[in-house]
Amino acid sequence: MFVLLRQLATIRQRADLTREGSRWLAIRHVDAGSCNGCEHELGAATNPLHDLQRHGLDIVASPRHADILLVTGPVTTRMASPLRSAYAAMPEPRLVAALGDCALGCNVLGDAAEHVGAVEDVLPVDIRIPGCPPTPDAIAEHILAAIERDF
Amino acid sequence: MTALHHVEPGEWRRSIERALGAGERFGGAWARAQDGGLSWFALIVSAHGVRVIWTEAPGGAVGSIVELVEAAGWDEREAHDLYGLEFDGHEPIRALVTHPEDPAAWMTPVTGDGVHQIAVGPIHAGVIESGHFRFHVIGERILAMDPRLFYKHRGLERAAEGRHRDAALPYVQRACAACAVANTLAYAHAVEDAAGLQPNRELRVARTVLLELERIYNHLHDVGAICAGVGFAPGTMAFAALKDRAQQINAQAFGHRFLFATIAVGRGRVELDVAALDAMRAQLRELRTDSRAAWRELEFAGSLQARLGGVGVLGRDDALRLGAVGPAARAAGIREDVRTLAPRLAYEGFTPAAPHAPAGDVEARLGLRAVELEASFDLLAALLVAPLARGSVGRVEDRGSVGIGRVESARGATACAVELDGDTVTRVHLRTGSYANWPALAWATAGNLVPDFPLINKSFELCYACVDR
Repeated sequence: MFVLLRQLATIRQRADLTREGSRWLAIRHVDAGSCNGCEHELGAATNPLHDLQRHGLDIVASPRHADILLVTGPVTTRMASPLRSAYAAMPEPRLVAALGDCALGCNVLGDAAEHVGAVEDVLPVDIRIPGCPPTPDAIAEHILAAIERDF
Repeated sequence: MTALHHVEPGEWRRSIERALGAGERFGGAWARAQDGGLSWFALIVSAHGVRVIWTEAPGGAVGSIVELVEAAGWDEREAHDLYGLEFDGHEPIRALVTHPEDPAAWMTPVTGDGVHQIAVGPIHAGVIESGHFRFHVIGERILAMDPRLFYKHRGLERAAEGRHRDAALPYVQRACAACAVANTLAYAHAVEDAAGLQPNRELRVARTVLLELERIYNHLHDVGAICAGVGFAPGTMAFAALKDRAQQINAQAFGHRFLFATIAVGRGRVELDVAALDAMRAQLRELRTDSRAAWRELEFAGSLQARLGGVGVLGRDDALRLGAVGPAARAAGIREDVRTLAPRLAYEGFTPAAPHAPAGDVEARLGLRAVELEASFDLLAALLVAPLARGSVGRVEDRGSVGIGRVESARGATACAVELDGDTVTRVHLRTGSYANWPALAWATAGNLVPDFPLINKSFELCYACVDR
């Protein structure tokens, strides 16, 4: 299976398809040690009142299908390795978003020995979404603003 | 103040046995390290209240009680991992909080012709908390499931210890967003219990309102999650929107969708004036009407209903044996709810909800959420008849050292134990409804098909964050 996946990744890379005029970005979420508040609000972002998909953003089941890795929580010692694996499984180009104050390293509570640090201590962070937790609308706004500004 | 009974180490098992024989129940256990020695505490619950039994662990060992109380299994494993406490008679004592490489060090051995394992997590396919499930299966049939949690262990209890009782509260809140009110309220109750303080009527009412608002958005969420467990998107979306409206009510009235920072020790933190009260009453009435209408749709949705009956059964005897609490226990016919014994809150005359049929399956757990939603809307309608004042506490007893708080969260009995030295927290332990129910969920999974696991899981809808802490 690995060979097939690599073939597909290579084909995709060489095809160099453009996406002008439309946007469809797939987000893969990883909980690296959150209190579940950010998960609730990310879920709420896809409910009918907020409808993340209308912005051309959707949440997918596998990092192999994802453009953006959205990470919540301070990174605990036991989630650092799974988090790196999820990032490594993504095709390029890829972005990392840190969702919530903990992921940004702000006001992290707990025993320092159980944490490896903020998300940016583990992965290169492109999009920062503050809040405890960020509201569903703030999640969409920050991702869209960052994409339109920087990429 | 909660009664504290010291027993000699050699008497530990016998004293637990006596308590159980007298109809008391195990409610959690925790270790404490002091002056180079370890002590071991157990919370004992009865129909009249709670008490604590404790003993020392000479040489770092104490007698195991798992043969008497299976529900103490996780407590002993946690103390073994975090405090190095040994339990005579708990063999093998498998890792719970720590994650050893060797599978035999944490997994149940399941062997035989055709038995294989399915490993899931810690990262799951949806927007879900991190945790690992190891299924032992034959074909599609689950023989047993070992949950491996604590990927999100943040050492919150340790980090809170040594802090002022007010400064320690945010550590308890951080354990879990969806149980923030229940957990911080259990903590506040525990500190007030140790300090000999009793809330007045205003404070009891305001805190009860907060706890019920938390239950409403959680129960609406859980109904939607069960719909998601069978891929019934209309139900998922309808209840996701209802949950969001409940959280908007929270935000409008108290400034936060998860009601963060609404509980404090020894004082009230929220109030509602007449205008805000009227607005909240009107919004809750509308939410109730729409929730009922959405629930009726689910009752007539054949593709949903066909998936619920007889799946993920947790029978009454097993629920008792494993120490299940909350909706999971009530759906199995155990009519227990901490709200029936809550002198620190405003639940006078409360009776626990009963399911239409206490089958202990997904259908019963789902149906119970609907019954409990009605009860919570009723409670709020009865409490929100006058503006909410902050309230206060009064000293009713002498100051002690150990306090217990026990609160019914959306997932069941949540207990907090606090030990104080003056105003400094020297030990805090949180045992949430989710913690109590994870072994019951694992048990209810056995015998079912692998594709039904998400549904069974959602019907319990347990937190990982407040278990891992």
